[in-house]
Order: sequence, then C-alpha cells, then structure tokens
Amino acid sequence: MDNKGVLVCGEIVEGKLAPITIELLGVGRKLADGLGEELSALLMGGKAGGLGQEAIAYGADKVYVAEDSLLDSYNSDAYTQMAADLCRKELPSIVLLGHTDIGTDLAPRLNGRLGGGLAMDCLGLSVDAAKLLVSTRPVFGGNAHATMVSKTARPQMATLRPKTVPPAKRDDARKGEVIPVEGKLDPSALKVKVVERIKEEVEGVKLEDAEVVVSGGRGMGSAQNFEVLKELASVLGGAVGATRPACDEGWAPMTLQIGQTGKVVSPKLYIAVALSGAIQHIGGCLGSKYIVAINNDKEANIFNVAHFGIVADYKEVLPALTAKFKELL
Amino acid sequence: MSPVSVTYWGIPGYAIFWVLFAIAAVLFAQRLYFLFRLMRLGKAENRFDRIGQRIKAMLVEVIPQWCNLKTVTRKDIAGIGHALLFWGFSLFLISYIIFIGLAGGFGASSAIEGTNFEVVYFSILDVAGVLVTIALIMAAVRRYIIRPERLEASAEAGVILILVFFLMALNVAVVGFGYAAHDSNASWPPMGAALAGYLSGSGLAQGTLEAVYQAMWWLHYLVIIGFMVYIPRSKHLHILVAPLNILFRPLGHKVVLKPIPLEEAEYFGAAKIQDFTWKDLLDLYSCAVCGRCHASCPAQLSGKSLSPREVVLNLKKHLLETGPELLAGKAEASSESKAKAMIGDVVTEEEIWACTTCGACQEVCPVGIEHVRKIIELRRNLVLSQNKMPESAQLMLRNLQSRGNPWAGVQSLRLRGDWTSGLDIKVLAEGDKARTLFWVGCTGALVERNVEATLAMARVLKAAGVNFAVLGDAETCCGDPARRAGYEFQFQMMAEQNIATFKKHGIKEIVTTCPHCYNTIKNEYPSYGGDFKVVHYTQLIADLIRRGKLKLTKELNSILTYHDPCYLGRYNGVYQEPRRALQAIPGANLKEMDRSKNNSFCCGGGGGLMWIEEQPGTTKINQMRLEDALKTGADTVVTACPYCLQMFEESIEHKDIKDSLKVKDLVELVEAAMKRS
Amino acid sequence: MNIIVCVKQVLDPEIPPAKFKIDPAAKKVIPPPGVPPVISVFDERAVEAACRLKDKQGGKITVISLGPAQASEVVKHAISMGADEGFILQDEAFEDLDSFGIAYVLGRAIQKIGQYDLVLCGRQSADWGNGQVGSILAEILGIPVVTLACDIEAADKKLKVKRIVKDGYEVLEAPMPSLVTVSTELGLPRLPAGMRIMIAARTQVPVWKAADIGAQAAELDKAKAHTEVTGLSVPSRKTECEMISGDSPGQAAENLAAKLAKLM
Repeated sequence: MDNKGVLVCGEIVEGKLAPITIELLGVGRKLADGLGEELSALLMGGKAGGLGQEAIAYGADKVYVAEDSLLDSYNSDAYTQMAADLCRKELPSIVLLGHTDIGTDLAPRLNGRLGGGLAMDCLGLSVDAAKLLVSTRPVFGGNAHATMVSKTARPQMATLRPKTVPPAKRDDARKGEVIPVEGKLDPSALKVKVVERIKEEVEGVKLEDAEVVVSGGRGMGSAQNFEVLKELASVLGGAVGATRPACDEGWAPMTLQIGQTGKVVSPKLYIAVALSGAIQHIGGCLGSKYIVAINNDKEANIFNVAHFGIVADYKEVLPALTAKFKELL
Repeated sequence: MSPVSVTYWGIPGYAIFWVLFAIAAVLFAQRLYFLFRLMRLGKAENRFDRIGQRIKAMLVEVIPQWCNLKTVTRKDIAGIGHALLFWGFSLFLISYIIFIGLAGGFGASSAIEGTNFEVVYFSILDVAGVLVTIALIMAAVRRYIIRPERLEASAEAGVILILVFFLMALNVAVVGFGYAAHDSNASWPPMGAALAGYLSGSGLAQGTLEAVYQAMWWLHYLVIIGFMVYIPRSKHLHILVAPLNILFRPLGHKVVLKPIPLEEAEYFGAAKIQDFTWKDLLDLYSCAVCGRCHASCPAQLSGKSLSPREVVLNLKKHLLETGPELLAGKAEASSESKAKAMIGDVVTEEEIWACTTCGACQEVCPVGIEHVRKIIELRRNLVLSQNKMPESAQLMLRNLQSRGNPWAGVQSLRLRGDWTSGLDIKVLAEGDKARTLFWVGCTGALVERNVEATLAMARVLKAAGVNFAVLGDAETCCGDPARRAGYEFQFQMMAEQNIATFKKHGIKEIVTTCPHCYNTIKNEYPSYGGDFKVVHYTQLIADLIRRGKLKLTKELNSILTYHDPCYLGRYNGVYQEPRRALQAIPGANLKEMDRSKNNSFCCGGGGGLMWIEEQPGTTKINQMRLEDALKTGADTVVTACPYCLQMFEESIEHKDIKDSLKVKDLVELVEAAMKRS
Repeated sequence: MNIIVCVKQVLDPEIPPAKFKIDPAAKKVIPPPGVPPVISVFDERAVEAACRLKDKQGGKITVISLGPAQASEVVKHAISMGADEGFILQDEAFEDLDSFGIAYVLGRAIQKIGQYDLVLCGRQSADWGNGQVGSILAEILGIPVVTLACDIEAADKKLKVKRIVKDGYEVLEAPMPSLVTVSTELGLPRLPAGMRIMIAARTQVPVWKAADIGAQAAELDKAKAHTEVTGLSVPSRKTECEMISGDSPGQAAENLAAKLAKLM
C-alpha cells in the first residue's frame, strides 16, 4: 500500500483546537503507534497557523496548515477540496474526523471524492492484527454494534463520536513539523454559499455541557407542559432535552433533541420524563451516570436502562420532585 | 248563521274568508317551496326503500307519540306534555277543517251547525283544550321558571305558547258568544255553555253579542291562518317535517356512513352546506330545539364547546342564509354577502373533534335527526382535503398507515401475535382454512391490560369447545379509527384488505371482543363486499351458557354494575345478552346505573378519541362515567369493550380508588366463575 | 421543478427492543415475523420536502428505491404523499452493495431518468445509518451537495437550504441541480390527502434491472466492498432499575429526590 500514516482533520472553534480534535489526536496517536506510522493533522482556517505547535504538543508529528481566506469559516466545497487535495498528495492510510456538524458533512464528501472506506459515528477505533483500522459503530438506531473495516479501499476513514475517548495528553516538549499547505482555492469552484448563520439562544446551561439533563418525550402532551421540566432543570442547575417525537410535535426546539440524530449527552444525572425509551433516544443518553425514569407505563423500555424509576403520571411527580430538590439542595 | 255568510260593509264574508285564506296559503306554500328547493340542493340519497316498513315505523312513532314518550324520565316529563299537546292539537286541527273550512268557507254550516256531531265534538274539544292548556302551562313553567339546561327561554317559544293558548281561549269564546248571541241554552260543550250563560245574564244587547261573536270568530280565523303562515318560518316547521324525517330515518343500523366513490373530485367530505344529502338538510328543518341532544352529549356535559343542538341549528341558519344565493345559481356566496366558511365559522374545528360518536344525541332525538354522520362528513373534509386535524389524530392515522394499527409507541412493547405464544390455539397460516375466526382487534392484542381479557376469552372459548382460529400477526386494524376520524380511503383500503384475508381463509363466522370491530365488520364491511356472520362475544357467551356449554359454578360475591358500550348497545341493540351472562354467575349482584342501556353514558373512547387528545373542559368524560358507576355502590364495573376497559382503568387510577373499585371485562368474570373452587 | 427522491425500505425501528434479533455469524438482522418493513424515517422527510416544493413550485417528483420487490411499498407510500411516479431497482447484482455501490446504482438510475433540478436523500438510513450515500452520489453526479437540511426553498433557479448545526441553523444557497440530504427536523411528513392512498395502492411500480440502467458489472465490482462489516453484536444494557414508591406519586417523588440528593 502506498498509503501511510494517520491524518486527523482538525476543527478550530473560537480560535482554539476543538475538544474533539484533541480527542482525535489522542486516539490517532495510539493508532499511529500501533501501525508504527506517523500522525499528522490538517488544520484549516484563519487561525490555523497559530495552532500548529499546540497540535504537535497533543501528539501530531506533522501539522498541515491551510490558511486560505476561503476556509475561515466552514464551507463544504472549500474544505472538501482542500482536504482532498492534501490527501491525494500525502496519501494517508487513515483519516479521522469528529462526528460533528463539520465532520458529518465533510467526511462523506471527502470519502466520495477519494474513493476510500468510511465508518460514521464511531464509538471505538482500533487496529487489528492485519493492521487494518477497525471501527465500532452503532447501527439500527443503537440496537446493535457493528465493526467495520476497509480491506483495500484507501484511505480508511472514520468519524468519531465526541466524548467517547479521552483527550490526548499535552506535552509541550514534543517536537514536530508545521507545514503550510500551498495552493489557493479557486473561488469559482465553491458552488454552495453560506448566506446566514442563526444561533438559537438557549437560556442557561448548554445541553452538551450540563451535569444534569431533564428530558421530555411524547408523553409530555404539549409545549406548555415542558415548563415543569424547565423548573426542575433550573433547580438542579441543568438543561432541558427532548426526544425526537417531542421535537417533531414542536414542543421543544430541535437543538434540544437528544438521540441517534440529535445530541448525545453524558451528564451525571439524566431524568427521562414521559418518554418511552425508544432505542434511538436511549443511544443519546446512555453515557449518563444515573438515569431516572418517570413514566406512567410500567412496561416502558426506559425502565430497562434506568437506575431509578417511578411509575406514575409525571404531572403528579414533577412538582413534588422539584419542591423537594429545592429544599434539599 | 256562520259569520262567513254575513256581508261586512258591502263585502261578502266569503270573499274576505277566501281572500285571506289565499294570501295565507300562498305565503305558506311559497315558504315551503323555498325550503324544498333548498333541500334539493343536497346530494342524492336513497331513503325510499322498503316504503311499507317506513310508513309503519313512522306511524308508530308519531301517532302514539312514542317519539316523545321514549324520553320521559323522572326528571324530564316534558314528553308527556308534548304528547298531550299533539293529540289535543290534532283534534283541534280536524275541527278547523270541518267547522271553519267546511262549515264556514264552503258554506256547509247548515248541515253541520247545531248537529249532535258538533256538540259532541266541541265537548271533546273542551277536554282537549283543558289538557292542552295544562300542557302549555307546564311548558311555560319549565321553560321560563325552572329553566332546565336543555331549554332556551326564547321569545319564539313564548310566542308559540301564547298563540296556542289564544287558540284554546278563542275556541271557547267563539262557542260562548255564539250561543249567547243566538239565545241557545245548550249545556254542551260545558265551557262554552257556561260562558254563554254568563253572557246572557250580563245584560249585553243581542246586537253587541252578535258583533263580538263575529269578531271573535274572525279573530280566531286570523290566528289560525296566521299560525299557518308562521309555522314554516319558525321552529314549528317540525310539525310538518318531523313525520317525514322519521319516515326517511335509516332502517336498522342508525349511523349510516356512505362510502366515498372512487372518482376524482375537487374535494371530499362536506365543505359547503350543499355537500350534505337532502336527508341531512331535512334533519335541519326537523329540529324543534328541544335540546335533548344537548343534554345527553358527553362532550357537552364535560364542558367542551360541542353541542349537537348548536351544530344542527347553526347549519340550519347557514342553509337559510346562503340558500337564496345558492338557488340563484352562484356556486358560493359572493364576497359581498357574509361569506362564511362552514367549517370554521358555522361549525368550529374544536366542535368537530370533540365528538365521541356515541350516538346519544340520535337516540334521544324525537324527530330522527342524524347528528353523528354530519360530524364525520365534516371530519372527512378536514382530513382528506384540508389536511387539518389534531396532531394526535395525525399521529394515529400515520401509524395506522405504516403499521396497520393505531397504537403508536405501544408497538414498542409487543407485536400483534405475541398474545398467542404458549397457547394451544390455531393461528392461521398461508393456505389454512377455518370457519370461525376469533378477531381480537388492535387494543386486545397490543395493550397489556386488554391482552389479559383476550387471553381469558381464548381460554373460555377453548373450555366451551368452540372450534376457532386466530390470525395472529396477520391481523391488522379493522379500520374503525380511520373511518371515525374521517380518513375514509384508508378505511376503505383496510376493509378491502381484511375482507380479502377473511375470504382467503374461507371464514364464515367472526367472533370479536371489540364492539367497534363488531360494528364495523358487521354493518360496514358489507358495502365493500364483505358479508360474514359477525357475533359479539357477549352474544356467544350468553348462548353458550344457555346451551350448557359453559358452566359457571364458582361463586362471585360482588356487587356488579354493567357499563353498556355505545357501539354494542346503542349502535347494535345488544343489551340483554351481557346481562344474561352476568346474571348466570352465582352470587353476582347486578345493579344498574342511572344512565344505562340505550341511555348509557359514553366512556369517552369512541370516535377516535381513544387516541385524539380530549379537549380541555370542566372534567373528563371517563371521570363522569366513573361517578355514575360509583353511585351504584358496586365494587366491580363490568364492561365488554376494550376502550371502555381502558377508560375505566384510567379514571379509577386518576381517582386513586383501585382498592375499592375494579373494572373487569365480562369474559374475565365469566372465566373466574368457571374455575372449580 | 423536477425532483428525484431516493428512498429505502428498512426494518421497522419501532419494534420492541426485546424483539431485535441478529444472526452474528451472517452479520445480519433477523426481522421479527409479521412486522411490515417501513420507509426509512429520513427518506420519508425527503419525500415530504419534495412534496412541499411541488406544492409551491409545481413540477414532478420521481422516487427510486434500491431494494427487493417489497420495496414497491415504500415507493407507493411516497406516491400516496404526492410523488408522481417511482421505480424500484432490483437485481441480483445489487445485493450486498456498500455505500459506493448503492450510490453508483442510484446514479445510473438518475441518469436514466434524465433531467432533474434536485435530488433528495435522507441524511442516513434508519437501519445501517452509514450516512454517506447522498454525498457519494453527489460526487458521482458531479453536483453540489448540502447535508442535514431542515428546510428547502426554491426561487430563481437557486435553492435556499436551512441546515441544522449544533446550536442553531445555517442558511445556504445552492445552484440547481444539487443534492440535498434531509433530516427529521424538517417536520412531520404529511398524511396522504384525498384519494392518494387508493391511487398509490393501485399503482404498479416498474422494476429496473442492471441492464435497464446500464449498470456495468465491472463498475459494480469496483464499487463493492469499500467497507465491510466484520462483526455484529447486541450490546447488553440491562440495568436493575430501582423503583421508588410512596403513598402517592408526590410522596414517591420526595423519596426519589432524597435518594438522588445523596448521590449528587
């Protein structure tokens, strides 16, 4: 195989390396060491240059830096072109991205352009005896796990789910190379333009960072009823989440959707209210330390994954729960 | 001498009589013709079949006034009053024809006046007049003093009461003044004769008496023909229309939903008033605003905005408002006139979706109005052509489409055929044939509490040696929720599919535990080519007990009360068999709820409302029904419908009285009574 | 507007988790008997997006599905929602294809259909969920691609696409033709209106074989097995749930709060 080395496609968020990139560098280093090959990183965007050293400190041997102004904010065509050009030149064996807004868009396109093999939303990455990348990922809504390999197609690609592997350890003494990427992008090749970015203002704690999440499902009944969840969440210093059916009904904004498509959270306490516990949703909260279920159907699947449960109408439980927490905390 | 044969200021009385009559007749006929033409705007419908049976049914309802007497209860005796009014007024009507028409207008007075016939008849009229007056006073007291919920203290009703009273009074006055003016000392009819006696002794001149007599006569005549003109312009139109409406009532099955023909149409269901059939429009004319439907509607009684009476009256008003333009040939009311949308302005969506299709309104209506199918026709337009329905309805219908059952989310717990596992019963596979099918229904197969009843039924059937098979996984919804929600084509597809399945397996007889499936397969599948013998399990069980195939030996010391499911009772007339089955259980003490049998109060689960979220009201329908059950002092509510079972479980849970009241399906009690002690 | 929508028929995602069975040796899922497969949830949204555009702009919606003969059910479902016609791509040569293979076959079918302004796909399939076919297909067709759309509008030969991101939306402008992958945030798909259910039920869905769309065996072989599944397992996730009770739901709530407060 002409392809060698592990390449991490990094992301820059607010002028810093994104946490997922640091995680990728960690797992990338392990893979590279397992293969006896190099770990490189590709950083695209205006701030890329300043972060090269940091990427090295986190384990990269080489950092490719592309500072074309067209890359300042994520543009699908631009990033795909840049990454594809680099991969065709450097021929990495493994390319890793985060399963993020950028990764879910960039990875398939890059894979399509390069003709490699891609596994998305991976929970684990390893190298097997045949020195192939083995990706473990959830399938069928999370009901099963599949392991996938690409025997011959190159590069072997994977998008990694955030917060499933520990971040790389920083070693500022590490040495490496920062290589600026040559070649300008042709603006006329960018067919799709970003016209606007709308941020949904979420009050209070961000869902992905919350230590406590209170989620509502189909059994909530209305948008109005979500107020009781907000009260409980605020007493506990947490955030409110929702299942896809609840978001479909318009009871909660999409940005609060937890599940197979939507956000994956792993708080200390996850309180599942009036949701049945469909596998597609559970996949988004299984990483929680304690799962509590409140549902008036004792056969609901959520009780199979919860640590604590109350079988009752949430309308009769939540006010008392909120009041008691207020008292105790 | 009849006042008609007198000449007044040079004008012969006959001329006055007939000119006045002609004017009144023209006004009367013109209005009726207008209403008739409006009615003809409606779609066609065949209600002329089995005309002999229809006439007989109508005569039985109208002449003995069964239409009103059927609704007499301890709290509402108005039906008796109306019967008196009807019979009394009928006698008066005949008297007008003979004594005013023939004797007066046609000048046959000499042949009629002074005859024994006249005396006898007028004496009878005295009695009738007293009874009518009593009825009028009763009516006035009820309407204006007691003011029950269902009656409006309207001006129109007052006018009618006063007019009828005038007719009674004037009748006596005419006789009295007539006798006095003509020096008659007849003593019959008693009231007229008494008045005459008083007048004779009053010292009034004969000329004066004659003049007043003539004035009274003509006043009486004017009120009569005035009434004639007023009738088709008021709610008293029901006098003329109600008997016809009863004549054209559905024979047998009460809620007749018509399949929608599979042809391209601009839209489906009823969006405009002329989308209803002529019978629906005739219904609107027939309404006497008695409000009985309003007072028995579970949605209304639990505080929702829906009132069957208001729906009918609003549609009637809408017909009369838009009628003239429609007759003039304009397809829709022009923008200059108040262009009201029938769905939205005349009947709101909220009202349309509150109906449980329980049929209490139709049961209690004296004039045979079919309320339920109008609601369904409106739903058809909303769902099929406007894509507007409550979210819960849409979710249920989408689930029905993709999964063949309406229970979203519950499917995540069990599959259709799971209940059969471990049981030694025949599950039909490809190519199998069976004569009798036990059709379980979606709820009985998928919802845990109801599966318990299904299992009990299977065991009871086996114990009784009934040879039956089930479809297991291959069973899909009968389509009832789709049809009641107005999603007619989905229903049609499911009906055709199920009929094909039944035929494929050679099924001849179907036993089911769900009254909705029972009603749908029995009464509605024939329109789609499916003709099977359909039996509700309570009928089968009652029969098996009677034949000795089921022996109930274990004593059940319980006070029971039986809740009649709407789709079993009112829709299909099955009241006795469940009771017979329960009474065959040793030690069972059966107490009836106040509202039972055809008066049963809905559990709230029909019409798709098992899934469509109940609107906010003052209370929930199932909680109201629970109160009815609690009043009997029973410790167990028994029902024969999976929705009713669910609704009771929910209301018992909500009131937290599980320890003192249980709800059981009838088959569960039967099975318990079969076990050896 | 001419729109092509790619749909897939999958195992019903709402089966009870306890019924989900796999054959680890064959690395396949065993569908429980008597459960009809359904249209992939994201593909249904793609059909809905197409119908919304057709409502506004008029035009034609063609639906294609790569699958067994039974896949005609999902094509009919799309027709009941508002699609004009559909085809299934069924051939022995189409079995066991991975994302590249599927994209290749879909690409050939699209080329056979001819003129189009927009291709819509679900963001991923509701079963294997690889999430790549759309992007690879766009690459094959040589058209731009926008992923994770929750809203699509068309005006002046351009597409305005709202895309889901972690904390909000992006609005992008793409030329026609483009490929857009659709996510569930688009909203609930419509209930088939009027007689469409019956029309769809009575439709015969044509089958296209490899020869019909000019799918070359050599290309299919090349497209095969960029990735393969080497193992399939069901993670065990039973936890012992401690049920908290009380005299009333409110009491139970207080007991729960007390317990959790200690753990936090």
